[in-house]
Amino acid sequence: MLSLLCLMLFVPRVFSSSTLAGIFPQDPALRMGSSLTATCTVSPERGLHANTMYWTMNGKRLPSSTYDLLSPNCLSVTLHHLNGSQQQSGDNLVCHSGDGHVLAGSCLYVGMPPEKPVNLTCWSRNTKDLSCKWTPGGRGETFIKTKYTLKYKLRWYGRERECEDYSTGQRYTCYIPRDLALFTPYEIWVEASNQLGTATSDVITLDILDVVTTDPPDNVHVSRVGELEDQLTVHWGSPPALKDFLFQAKYQIRYRLEDSTEWKVVDDVGNQTSCRLAGLRAGTVYFVQVRCNPVGIYGSRKAGIWSDWSHPSAASTPHSERLQSGSCEPKPGEQNSTLRRELKQFFGWVRKHAYGCSGMSIKLYDQWRVWLQKSHKTRNQVGCRLLGMATPNIPSYKPLRINETTGTSNEREENPTLDSDTLSLTLKRAPAVC
Amino acid sequence: MSGHVKNMCPQLTISQAARTLLSLLLVAAIDSVSAGVVCRKQPCGSSLQRSLKLTKLIHKESVDLLKTYKLSQGDMSELFCQMSINNVPDPNISGLDPSERMLSIYSHCKAFLPHLKRVTEQQTDLQPPSSSLLSKLSTAHNRTNGLANQINCIYQTLFPNLPIPPEPVDGPTSVPPSQNVFQQKVYGCVVLKRFKEFLSRVTRELRTLKSQVCTRRTTFADTNALF
Repeated sequence: MLSLLCLMLFVPRVFSSSTLAGIFPQDPALRMGSSLTATCTVSPERGLHANTMYWTMNGKRLPSSTYDLLSPNCLSVTLHHLNGSQQQSGDNLVCHSGDGHVLAGSCLYVGMPPEKPVNLTCWSRNTKDLSCKWTPGGRGETFIKTKYTLKYKLRWYGRERECEDYSTGQRYTCYIPRDLALFTPYEIWVEASNQLGTATSDVITLDILDVVTTDPPDNVHVSRVGELEDQLTVHWGSPPALKDFLFQAKYQIRYRLEDSTEWKVVDDVGNQTSCRLAGLRAGTVYFVQVRCNPVGIYGSRKAGIWSDWSHPSAASTPHSERLQSGSCEPKPGEQNSTLRRELKQFFGWVRKHAYGCSGMSIKLYDQWRVWLQKSHKTRNQVGCRLLGMATPNIPSYKPLRINETTGTSNEREENPTLDSDTLSLTLKRAPAVC
Repeated sequence: MSGHVKNMCPQLTISQAARTLLSLLLVAAIDSVSAGVVCRKQPCGSSLQRSLKLTKLIHKESVDLLKTYKLSQGDMSELFCQMSINNVPDPNISGLDPSERMLSIYSHCKAFLPHLKRVTEQQTDLQPPSSSLLSKLSTAHNRTNGLANQINCIYQTLFPNLPIPPEPVDGPTSVPPSQNVFQQKVYGCVVLKRFKEFLSRVTRELRTLKSQVCTRRTTFADTNALF
């Protein structure tokens, strides 16, 4: 049979004047896992003997054990368990002369017939259009060129129509831009076909008004709530494109820290166009996004489809006046040695004169500064040292009033008196103890 | 003869003169148009410079185009480019004097266009719709068409007395009849390889022409200005 085939192909008129060789079959479509026997026949004018020829498939030489010399001019190759094609333009099965020149070629299309497309879903942007997407039913069909046609018709009347715009940039999608009826269900399906077979998806039925999505909310603003460190307020606008469509929008907010990838979602925003976020970290930048779902357009019973998230808006919470609890020691690696020294002195003073660092505040720091200046002045003037200033019952956050009393330079400093309600420290000049 | 008739005579004369002038202007405009292209007379150097830049751009893109093409056809496609195929324009520019060589560039540009179009059609069937090869082929076709028009205009400006011969409808470089897929792959490779080589030659040629033709015209104009 194959020898007869080689003889038939030997007719000179079959060959082009340039190659004088041919492969049979040409451009076959084959199922994955199947076998193929191909023959390469050269014209005697080439002066080639078939036993000098060899085969390659996609550039890879095929073992001679797969060859069969059918005649002096005809060499065949048999391939088993074919894998899916490496490229959609077809696998290159090429017949070569002994010196490597290409004598002839044939492109193989190895794949599977399509299975019925699945996950067909559609959505309408602002009731104006319809976009649909689906997933191929099988993997085998992806190895060869498989055509998908989205079809639709009004359920109870109307002719079948085909979607024409498949060029939305994403595979397995189609776009119907206009002329869509409302309040009337559509039947929609996808037909897949390739050289090995055809398949049709299940039909879905939908009313455009049940699958509406809209643009993300615009004018999303995030701002502080006064001086509250742990809160931000978010405002946004309702979708303008649907303002005449009698619907109840619901919103969702999500937010994250600036340097985090984890979003927190606020689900129960309802149909308000503002929301306050609480429990946030002080002095931190947050990114916030909002999206909208148009629920019940023109009395539709179903919820719509969530819009895309708005562009991120950012704001920061106010810094806390309280320092972090914990060690009062200055952080290691402090570059500014003057600042470091001062901080050490301040922390030492606080340890001695306040209840540790829990009552730390900028006010306390200011009080220490005043004390420092005065004590420095006093030291310079009369060289006194304040003794016995630490009293365990100095409450925190109470105003520290420093009073000076004059005295003779020989007067020893007595323990400062403290008012129970105020941190009132009475300094008396004492003799220098430095 | 009534006074009314007497008064009409000067208006008739003016109208006739206007029509004659308009006719002359129209003829001049038509004369400057060839194959639907309206050429504005521009300085020799800047026109050729623009064409040279365009040629360099198309050449640069043709390198990437050929590479993309080979990748899209599968392994071993390098060998396809080396096969001999009839009816694909050769990349060589012919002619002895500048006018002949410029005409050769123009003819070759026009000759490549239907082949680029055929390769685009064939690859549209063979490649997935999202393939970048298709857009690159389309760009090459459009730019080459633009280059042909530019060369056409420069030729008419430099050699107004030498007509451009009509394009052959079915000549030796017309597109081949229907081919099997393997033949299409080979054909496309040969077309794009020769196209790339042609553009490389055009780049060199335009540089030479610019120095030869534009300098000569400048010298001639300067000489004329003395008298």
